[in-house]
Amino acid sequence: MTVPVRIEHLFKTYTRRRLLGKNLEKPVLKDVSLTLEDNHVLGLVGESGCGKSTLCKVLLGIEKPTSGLVEVNGQNVPTLSKSEFKKLRRVLQVVYQDPYSSLDPRMNVRQLLSEPLDIHRLKKDKQERKAFLKELLTAVGLSESQLERYPHEFSGGQRQRICIARALALNPQILVADEPVSALDVSVQAQILNLLKEIKKSRRLSMLFVTHDFAVARFLCDDIAVMYRGRIVERAPAEELFTNPQHPYTEALLSAVPSVHAPRRAVFAGQETPEEHPERESWACPFAARCRYAQPACQTQPFALQEVAPRHACACGVLPFKNHKSKSAV
Amino acid sequence: MNRSDEPILEVRDLHIEFAGEDGPLPVLHGLSYTLPKGRVLAVVGESGSGKTVHALSILRLLPPNARISQGEVRYKGKNLATLGREELRKIRGNKISMIFQDPAASLNPVLTIGQQLTETLLAHRKMSKSAARAKAVKLLEKVGIAGAEKRLNEYPFQFSGGMCQRVMIAMALALEPDVLVADEPTTALDVTVQAQILNLIKQLQKASGMSAVFITHNLAVVAGIADDVLVLYAGMCMEYAPAAELFEHPLHPYTQGLLNSLAPVHEKVDILPVITGHPPLPGKLPPGCPFAPRCPFAKDKCRQVCPPLFEENGRRTRCWLREGK
Ligand SMILES: Nc1ncnc2c1ncn2[C@@H]1O[C@H](COP(=O)(O)OP(=O)(O)OP(=O)(O)O)[C@@H](O)[C@H]1O
Ligand SMILES: Nc1ncnc2c1ncn2[C@@H]1O[C@H](COP(=O)(O)OP(=O)(O)O)[C@@H](O)[C@H]1O
Ligand code: SF4
Ligand code: SF4
Ligand SMILES: [Mg+2]
Ligand SMILES: [Mg+2]
Repeated sequence: MTVPVRIEHLFKTYTRRRLLGKNLEKPVLKDVSLTLEDNHVLGLVGESGCGKSTLCKVLLGIEKPTSGLVEVNGQNVPTLSKSEFKKLRRVLQVVYQDPYSSLDPRMNVRQLLSEPLDIHRLKKDKQERKAFLKELLTAVGLSESQLERYPHEFSGGQRQRICIARALALNPQILVADEPVSALDVSVQAQILNLLKEIKKSRRLSMLFVTHDFAVARFLCDDIAVMYRGRIVERAPAEELFTNPQHPYTEALLSAVPSVHAPRRAVFAGQETPEEHPERESWACPFAARCRYAQPACQTQPFALQEVAPRHACACGVLPFKNHKSKSAV
Repeated sequence: MNRSDEPILEVRDLHIEFAGEDGPLPVLHGLSYTLPKGRVLAVVGESGSGKTVHALSILRLLPPNARISQGEVRYKGKNLATLGREELRKIRGNKISMIFQDPAASLNPVLTIGQQLTETLLAHRKMSKSAARAKAVKLLEKVGIAGAEKRLNEYPFQFSGGMCQRVMIAMALALEPDVLVADEPTTALDVTVQAQILNLIKQLQKASGMSAVFITHNLAVVAGIADDVLVLYAGMCMEYAPAAELFEHPLHPYTQGLLNSLAPVHEKVDILPVITGHPPLPGKLPPGCPFAPRCPFAKDKCRQVCPPLFEENGRRTRCWLREGK
């Protein structure tokens, strides 16, 4: 069965050419495999710089993969011709982190929302266009009276609503959202999160949702993939991941999430002095330098995702993680 | 007077404005607080509420187009705004240290970590080079960097984000300051590293009796580190309270709204309660209470007259609902 997005063994290395000497190679995505299922929200969680945005760019055809399969609705994105790609963009849309720089300041809301329709020659009838724009604005919580206004007249949250409306204009089936609430004020984040959840349901969207915030992920996502330095270390249905995390990195992340609901306990969970083991950087497991369960086997055990339960995969070489919890680190 | 009540830092009726195209643009409207010895005050607020501007003003680091138009900042009774250059230099870094949001940008990329640490020490303390180096090793160990001796010879790019931030903390603490001002020191880090850094600041602060002003937009972080909390909105203090009480029982409608709207991490909910609308832009404050356009309890009076801070049991709340309580 074709799924909205299937990524298999994706590698991406950025190369910086140098005039003298060897080119600089920076591997950013390493053997990433993911599936976005129909009408699901797949959360991609990981620290800043781990490769989340790069993955989005490859999926959107903005960056070419070094190797691997990137399928949207069964079509391999990197091999598409220009016209095939244009067709695909009707199905696949994106919302970025920064609502300030993603809107052309010289265009008013009407022009911003009409542009994708004009490109694809849709809703050309005047009355039809008018009704459609109205519906679109209502869907994102704005009103028709704001059509003639320019981006600088809107707040960050409202601009993000415009970005979402623009992404929805072509009635896409898949939405890529790269940290869509991170740049927004705390009091406005909840508004946008509710909106995304609502349109996922009402428009039967499938969504790749990038975030570094677990609370946000729990609210919105059906499945979650945890990324560490360009690799997926664990993926599972969201509730399964929160209640039964398997990878030491996921466990560490979850126990460190501060919360206003259980304040002191949460922040001071990892009470000991921070420890890093730079000498383990060369180990086979990329997380070894920060892992409290590391064992000699982790030096050589090849890195691989393994199923630990149905739909739940984890890349800790010394599985099952639950069993070595009691053992001491090297 | 109880030891912990002694004010180390006092901010009194602080007003700050930027030079705008159509005249001055006020961004901080009369901020006041006292920081007692050994306590951590968290200043929380949304983007643009004036957190950074207030922090920069403490050490007179405001950009040239900004100025303190009224009020003062006192360190142990001395007005920092009128202090001579030489005296101010002695206080900067030495008595009051600052950590900025972006660790990589605050470290010098062409100097080794060791050079930067020893330079700080030598600039303020009479000590030999070798003594400074030995102290630098101790400092790195204190902030949990393994193999400190060797790592002194490395450059910032060889350190991870979390390690750079720990180096910044080591630098800030090198001279054992009385006050640490930290502006979003963990915002760029992942939560595990964030927890380490917060623990570290807390431990060092407990051990040395240092006071800290901790700036963040993340309420959950506040819950973990602060003794007292000051909630800023549109350049005004809306609520000031001991942290435990604020989270247990927020009094201001804005604080209540913020806490309600946070997605919980320990359970899945269907919908998040929201504060409608958005914060006012600078220079576009509504008349009356700045939160009135978004407040579910707003009355006519709220839209006409800005409430003062009402005091009750050591808490302060800028809301007419607390009048006479
Ligand atoms: N260099 C500047 N010139 C003009 N206005 C400025 C300048 N720096 C800050 N401001 C304005 O001063 C106000 C307070 O800014 P400040 O940087 O203190 O906010 P903040 O609370 O630290 O926000 P953030 O959470 O985004 O860091 C804002 O309205 C901002 O636009
Ligand atoms: N165009 C580029 N050229 C070279 N390196 C890049 C480029 N874009 C991103 N990177 C690097 O790739 C890594 C992953 O970046 P990114 O995907 O933006 O991370 P995230 O979105 O998870 O924060 C980072 O180390 C970043 O510096
Ligand atoms: S393989 Fe070893 S070092 Fe890596 S996460 Fe598992 S226990 Fe930790
Ligand atoms: S003063 Fe009025 S508008 Fe302002 S927070 Fe209190 S009730 Fe709301
Ligand atoms: Mg990114
Ligand atoms: Mg700031």
